[in-house]
Amino acid sequence: MKNILYLIVPLLITSFLFADKKRDMMLPDLTIKLINGKKTRLSTLLEDGPILVEFWATWCAPCKKEMIFLEEFHKKYSNKGFRVLAISTDSPKSMSKIKSYIRAKKHTFLVGLDPNQEVAKKMNAMVMPTVLLIDKDRKISWFHQGFVPGDEKEIETQILKLLDINNAKESNE
Amino acid sequence: MKSFLLFFITTSSIYAQMSFTGNTETRIGESSSGFYYNETLVNTNLQYGAFSNWIQLEYSDPPELGRSINGVRKLRLEYDNGPIQLKLGDLYEIWGRGLVLNSVDDQSIDRDTGIRGLTLIYNNDSFSSQFIAGKADISQSTINALGFNNRRHNYQVSHNLYGLNIQKLFGDHDLGFSFLQGLEKHPVNTFPSDTIDIKNQLHSLNYSYMNSFFDFFVEYIMSRSYEFEEENWKSHINGKGLYGNLNLYFNLFSLNLEYINYRYAKIDPISRFNIVDYYGHNQPYQNPPVAVYIHENILMNRISHQTDFNNEVGYKAELIGSFSDNIDFLSIFSQSNRTHSWVMDESYMWNKDKEQSFLPSFNPAAMPFKEFYTELTLRTFQNNLFIKLGYADMKDIVDLLQNTVTDTSQSLTYSISNAKTVPLNLSYSFNNGWSIESKIELQWLKKGYWWYEEKNNQIIADSLMSIFLDEDGKRLEDEKNTFISFTVSKSPKWSLTLTSDRTSVKESFLENNSIVNPLEKFLGIDQEKNWVNIEFVYHLTSSMRFSLLYGSLKGGLLCTNGVCRIIEPFDDGFKVGLSTVF
Repeated sequence: MKNILYLIVPLLITSFLFADKKRDMMLPDLTIKLINGKKTRLSTLLEDGPILVEFWATWCAPCKKEMIFLEEFHKKYSNKGFRVLAISTDSPKSMSKIKSYIRAKKHTFLVGLDPNQEVAKKMNAMVMPTVLLIDKDRKISWFHQGFVPGDEKEIETQILKLLDINNAKESNE
Repeated sequence: MKSFLLFFITTSSIYAQMSFTGNTETRIGESSSGFYYNETLVNTNLQYGAFSNWIQLEYSDPPELGRSINGVRKLRLEYDNGPIQLKLGDLYEIWGRGLVLNSVDDQSIDRDTGIRGLTLIYNNDSFSSQFIAGKADISQSTINALGFNNRRHNYQVSHNLYGLNIQKLFGDHDLGFSFLQGLEKHPVNTFPSDTIDIKNQLHSLNYSYMNSFFDFFVEYIMSRSYEFEEENWKSHINGKGLYGNLNLYFNLFSLNLEYINYRYAKIDPISRFNIVDYYGHNQPYQNPPVAVYIHENILMNRISHQTDFNNEVGYKAELIGSFSDNIDFLSIFSQSNRTHSWVMDESYMWNKDKEQSFLPSFNPAAMPFKEFYTELTLRTFQNNLFIKLGYADMKDIVDLLQNTVTDTSQSLTYSISNAKTVPLNLSYSFNNGWSIESKIELQWLKKGYWWYEEKNNQIIADSLMSIFLDEDGKRLEDEKNTFISFTVSKSPKWSLTLTSDRTSVKESFLENNSIVNPLEKFLGIDQEKNWVNIEFVYHLTSSMRFSLLYGSLKGGLLCTNGVCRIIEPFDDGFKVGLSTVF
């Protein structure tokens, strides 16, 4: 027991210290399978501007609540190059209904498939929903786990913050 | 000194170009009944150019489920360069819809069907192929092997696997082929303990088509199993399976249809979940789709239908759509049964009777299941008020106990579970970040043994003997379950949830007497049939989440993706969780 504590305590302290400081960490150029059967790279998706990635599943009620607001943000800020990518972690047992769900809800954002949670693991999405805001340089600007009503306001604040930074960067260039 | 400098320069140069992210998850819990766990998982992802590496460390003493591990739990090295990808280590791969291969690591039920080995993938816009080779050590819990325990698996089988999957795209048409062979050392119930050598071969063909009005997927699989006897591989059993999915898209709604027809083995009703004495059938690394709706609500999930992956025919029809911009609906009907009905002979041995149609019916002798679920969702006040109301009606013949038929009589007994459930979810979000949410689930559950007796065309008995008894031993028609949770949250920082899980009858699987929970005492409710807890979740930073639960949790069946496990109740204790991303 003592040995375990010796390992856990430093690990937790380290992760606590680095938890927010390393948010500018660059993500690998992951391959993402889209719902239309095509594959794309994270760098390709970021060509037009920053993206918000949400990890969700058809059986996750808070995820679906969050998606209503994500659709709103996707439409509202698309003129600034911003897009939403909702990556479904549904296993083959429920993946048949991803497309019918998206079509029925008339969601227009991008939808990715990650049935064996490979992408989720690489983006450290441990719980659902998890939201990541990724800037054009593949750096995570904001990360959030779970969804409670009201979180959508914080998500929008973070999107605006990222878009302002990106716009400022572009105007400087 | 030179070597130190060289090491220092090399390390700094590598570090400058690599990306490193990870996460930790710590969970500690202790209940008054002595249930204790302490586990920490650390995942690290390291990327250097085309190479990446995933390491998962576990420190547990003991974990909530499974055996203690202190050290590296999972490890994988990947090389990804254009169309070529190479992975070495712990692999979790899915081919098609998982009829041939779907290896998962589901820690909530301690199910790990991962393969330790190598895979080589070639992928371009219209063609993909994957070769895989490795070993899968798969543990399961079974009452048919010694040392059954709810918390730790008691049966392990090693599978040496190799296989190939090829997919080719022709415009909107996608055609695929898969082959997977597994050599298995199958432990059997003998003294002294021994193993049997089994060879399992799976071949499958899949086809899919996609356009904007509909899409279609179908996969057919053939399974062959051989047993090694007298220096030769002898044919043991052959099986087959079919899975189909059709999605139709209309303006206001979508229709999702799924069909399963799994015929890997026809095992009698008593032995159908005996994985020790019956082998060479559905393999644990297959994990195919089920024709059952995966519920979001707690009470329906507890009585989920357990699919017989060896032998089941069924379908699911799901209609989802919107009446208007803020009113959505969902309706599902699913039904399944075994491919044959079963009948007992004079010596009370089970025999296959009639073959059922390719569509399920509700013949009790074929252990059928059917469910209807519908829900309506309303969002109003600028999406601040959310109301979801559902209704579920489920009937499941879990076991067939007796079916003796003569020319003039029939005696049929089966165990049945029949439930009506009403889930309601309400939430309101205030403009200042505060919100309230409530979940209420009501369930009327009938469980017991149905006895049907017919003699000379006269029905003598046709009734349910309920397993639910009141305190005086009198049979009750049904059990009423109530699950209520109330959450107050202040976004994005914290939330506080009070949960009450109540049943009207003390269930037989809960052998231990419930321990008095001061929270239940404070609320003045019956502690024997109530599990009350309070949970506080706090986001220390945007990437660090802390949770503290105090109280009791009702155990029971926990099902994820069609696979179920009994979870022990948690009486009057604390659960602490901390997850960080770095």
